[in-house]
Amino acid sequence: MIKMQQLSKVYRTHLIETHALRGFDITVKEGEFVAVTGPSGSGKTTFLNIAGLLEEFTGGDFWLDGVSVKGLDDNARSKLRNEKLGFIFQGFNLIPDLNLFDNVDVPLRYRGFNAAERKRRIEEALGRVGLSSRLKHYPAELSGGQQQRVAIARALAGSPKVLLADEPTGNLDSQMARGVMELLEDINSQGTTILMVTHDPELAARAQRNVHIMDGTVTDLTQETRHAIKHAAEIA
Amino acid sequence: MWNYYFVLGWRSLKRNPVLTTLMILILAIGIGASMTSLTMLLVLSGDPMPHKSERLFVPKFHIQDMRGYKAGDDPDFQLTYIDAKNLLRDKRGKAQTVLFGISPTIDSGRKDLPPFFERGMATTGDIFSMFDMPFRFGNGWSSDVDDKAANVAVIGPELSEKLFKKDNPVGKTIRIDDRDYTIAGVLETWKPTPKFYRLYGTEATSRPEQLWLPFTNAVSREYRNNGWNNCSGDGAGPGYEGWLKSECTWLQYWVELESAGDAARYKDYLNAYVAEQKKLGRMPRPEQLQLLNLREWLEDAGVVGRDTKLSTWMAFGFLLVCIVNLVALMLAKFTARSGDIGVRRALGASRKEIFHQYLIEAGVIGLVGAILGLGFSWYGVHILSSRLASASDFYQIDFKMLMITLTISLCAALLAGLLPTWRACQVRPAIQLKSQ
Repeated sequence: MIKMQQLSKVYRTHLIETHALRGFDITVKEGEFVAVTGPSGSGKTTFLNIAGLLEEFTGGDFWLDGVSVKGLDDNARSKLRNEKLGFIFQGFNLIPDLNLFDNVDVPLRYRGFNAAERKRRIEEALGRVGLSSRLKHYPAELSGGQQQRVAIARALAGSPKVLLADEPTGNLDSQMARGVMELLEDINSQGTTILMVTHDPELAARAQRNVHIMDGTVTDLTQETRHAIKHAAEIA
Repeated sequence: MWNYYFVLGWRSLKRNPVLTTLMILILAIGIGASMTSLTMLLVLSGDPMPHKSERLFVPKFHIQDMRGYKAGDDPDFQLTYIDAKNLLRDKRGKAQTVLFGISPTIDSGRKDLPPFFERGMATTGDIFSMFDMPFRFGNGWSSDVDDKAANVAVIGPELSEKLFKKDNPVGKTIRIDDRDYTIAGVLETWKPTPKFYRLYGTEATSRPEQLWLPFTNAVSREYRNNGWNNCSGDGAGPGYEGWLKSECTWLQYWVELESAGDAARYKDYLNAYVAEQKKLGRMPRPEQLQLLNLREWLEDAGVVGRDTKLSTWMAFGFLLVCIVNLVALMLAKFTARSGDIGVRRALGASRKEIFHQYLIEAGVIGLVGAILGLGFSWYGVHILSSRLASASDFYQIDFKMLMITLTISLCAALLAGLLPTWRACQVRPAIQLKSQ
């Protein structure tokens, strides 16, 4: 679903160059739930932004659902982002002037669905996160957990192949965080690939696979663990 | 999507009513000021008879003697009675007419309506067809009436309603300076803009006359010209006869030719006429005569004064200042919504779609600003009209002005929105999403 090979990202100013990612290799298969961990400034968010086609990369290759995104123009990237990806942010990023119905409607408008199809998808998505009775409410009238559920509904409404979550529970208390995590697991169980950046080792442990980013390079912890187990067995 | 963008634009305006009101007011005031000036300019610089302005001509002769002569002097824009009569007699145009202003007394014979002065024109029967003057009742008069100097009158709609209400007064009489005139016709409202047929002072914006009498009749009644008389040189001899034989210029002359191409031939005729008059000891100045078509005539008469042009430029300069202010406000408004833009970009909006959305929002400001600006323009024109008594109801915002106002307002708002919109498109979603 996501394949990055020797990916690099360099931020340049007239004074310095910062290598946010270097020689970055990762493959995420369809239906996987991958947790991305790493210290602040390690390149987690840069990786997620590139995976979400929000930023361009400096070198290497990147395929999203079999499509090479290298050299795509803004229109093509936007279309691909709209069709294949869903986003969940730490700060929810709902549009405060729009009610829940209209918030979830935003990506569907850009997809070009007709009114009936949009309505069906919005009601279904909000129903899935347990907010179907609050279509006309505004984000400010909801708790943090409920706002994050709306953000998840918005991400799901377009039936994306991949859900990109950046610290989805970072602004929530533990009870709400648990609820959101269970929702993500449920979504994943129905076939959606999830890539989640988190600081929380407990949440990371619930993912099928953990990758760790350090100084712009990635280490697959699951494989490391497997290698360690294999190595230990060989010694024994 | 355009509908969606329009709704978003409208909602965005409602979100911050103070800022929105300020933006709309800035635009509306700029539009109001510029449209008021433009209305004035367009009314004065318009072609009142576009379908035949190339075929209607005013001859200008150097009538005066050599006293005070300077090379390059402008010829007289009016004719003497002698020349007007000669040109009318020769009938070298398809139609020709002469005009001078009169202000006789009209006595209705009614107790409720005491005698009153009415501004009118003494002219010939050709004028009605030459200037396509529309009739509500009846017609103009024939050349017979001109020849016989008969007591016949054509009246305007206001005078007709004043004297006869809604009735058809054709065939009835109207008492003018103690003599009865038979009414041949009643004009429909006729308001050429500018009032081209007689231009001096503020005549270009004055209301059309309500009384039209045969030129020969007015002369036989020894009516004096109510208007511009130029009597430099020896002036006029004694009595009305002396006035008619003088070299005083006081008559406006118009000729209609079959085609614009006939102008050269008509000018040859006029040159021959001048040569003939020179032999008689008249018209001693060496300068050539002029033959101006209607548009040239308006230009030559300076209907659009330098002040009018200057005030229009200044008003549009003010509009430019308003647009610059609008740019600054929009920039602030759009920048404050970078987060919104970031989210939309993340959810699949391309730069082009963001550009369209914000341009439509600027367009909504333009539309509302145009409506309010139209109100200000209407008020400005109203003030202008009321300050110029002669021009009351002359300056009006017609459909053309309405469309120009809407177009300029929308263009101004879109122009003002261009930079902020372009900046909005440059928002990097990744940064905005993280900073929220």
